Amino acid sequence: MPLIRPFGLPEFWIIVMAAQWTIALSAIAFAGGGIGGLLIALLRVSDAKWPRLIATAFIRVFQGTPLLMQLFLVFFGMNIIGLAINPWLAAAVALTLHASAFLGEIWRGCIEAVPPGQREAATALGIRYYNRMRYVVLPQASRIAVAPTVGFLVQLIKGTSLAAIIGFTELTRQGQIINNATFSPFMVFGTVAAIYFVLCWPLSVLARRMELKFSRATAR
Amino acid sequence: MTEITNASADMRGGPDLVVRMEGVNKWYAAFHALKDIDLSVTRGERIVICGPSGSGKSTLIRCINQLETIQKGKIVVDGHDLTAGGKNVDIVRQETGMVFQQFNLFPHMTVLENCTLAPMKVRGISKAEAEKTARTYLERVRIPEQAEKYPAQLSGGQQQRVAIARALCMNPKIMLFDEPTSALDPEMVKEVLDTMIDLAREGMTMLCVTHEMGFARQVADRVIFMDRGEILETGTPSEFFGNPQNERLKTFLGQIS
Repeated sequence: MPLIRPFGLPEFWIIVMAAQWTIALSAIAFAGGGIGGLLIALLRVSDAKWPRLIATAFIRVFQGTPLLMQLFLVFFGMNIIGLAINPWLAAAVALTLHASAFLGEIWRGCIEAVPPGQREAATALGIRYYNRMRYVVLPQASRIAVAPTVGFLVQLIKGTSLAAIIGFTELTRQGQIINNATFSPFMVFGTVAAIYFVLCWPLSVLARRMELKFSRATAR
Repeated sequence: MTEITNASADMRGGPDLVVRMEGVNKWYAAFHALKDIDLSVTRGERIVICGPSGSGKSTLIRCINQLETIQKGKIVVDGHDLTAGGKNVDIVRQETGMVFQQFNLFPHMTVLENCTLAPMKVRGISKAEAEKTARTYLERVRIPEQAEKYPAQLSGGQQQRVAIARALCMNPKIMLFDEPTSALDPEMVKEVLDTMIDLAREGMTMLCVTHEMGFARQVADRVIFMDRGEILETGTPSEFFGNPQNERLKTFLGQIS
């Protein structure tokens, strides 16, 4: 076998198959970030001062530092606290925290976009915090949230490419590996980019459609 | 104009105090929104509060179900001391219905769902029973046929009548109206006022912030004039409109009529 092999169909399929790890990492980060984000958003709109401050600090830290540094800090931080180096776990944890902060901030905006009269009307009817959020505020906020949330998911999918740097073999990392063997960087990274596009573009279209649908449904 | 007798008030347990405000003060930062308010409302009484904008009249009634908190003084609603906090606030909110200027119906729910949410989630009433009650009250505000529609499909007047029905579904002891007709087109004001007059006839204790002086004359037992956070004059409609004492009230009445 020669040291440098040509870029052919097998190489192409190896890259395509690596997309499953990009999808898996995105799905984990999005699911974890969804739960964390809801918690952060609720803390952020709390009446109490401390939960609000803690959530704000969390958001500021993750918004104010590069995703790559967040990955590094979790990856090396896990090592310091005595956990074995595990790119999978580090990438999943870092991206979940990252997504929690961003979704938390997006959803806070959506919750606050629900007119205050809605909360007042529910309160005046004697409906308490939990049911007020569950039946009155969050259903309305979630309609507003659909489009920006899917928009963030697109950012998140692209963001998983940084996990390549801590040695997590997803789409980008697989591209680097294949490129080392074939040395056809334009073909290899062209393929990688095309796969990201195929993943992200339908989501962007979906986001736009849902935005239209909900704006019609909630027209007042 | 029809005179409304107070006879029905006695059916609801005699003329005891439903709302008692003593020395109530509220500030928004440095702005003194309510100044030493003393006000007692007896069961079945219908009170209209008027005054220029920013005079504190909306703030006053929003304190009764604690949509606004006060910094000083005491508010007791139907024997529950709001200033003592705890469960009292929840109890008072359940017993107090409120109608807002902007209707504030829940846009993602049908009319029927708007009316059944609180009875089901707060009082724990079954869906079937809550819907039965809701339909009864929708009948009373004369829009039973709109039950399955969404608020956006209704006119402003219809929406406000739904809002009244929604409040009544909790079987409140007091109804608070915060400028219920101010956001309505002129041709829809009457249908909402008629609904409120019906309610008054049935002996409901009502506090209404409104600029509808015809309604005040016809329905109110007492009319209150507020300006700059103070109650400046209180009287029966005939005293209030026929022989106003306060200079600012005289100016105000001159401006609105």
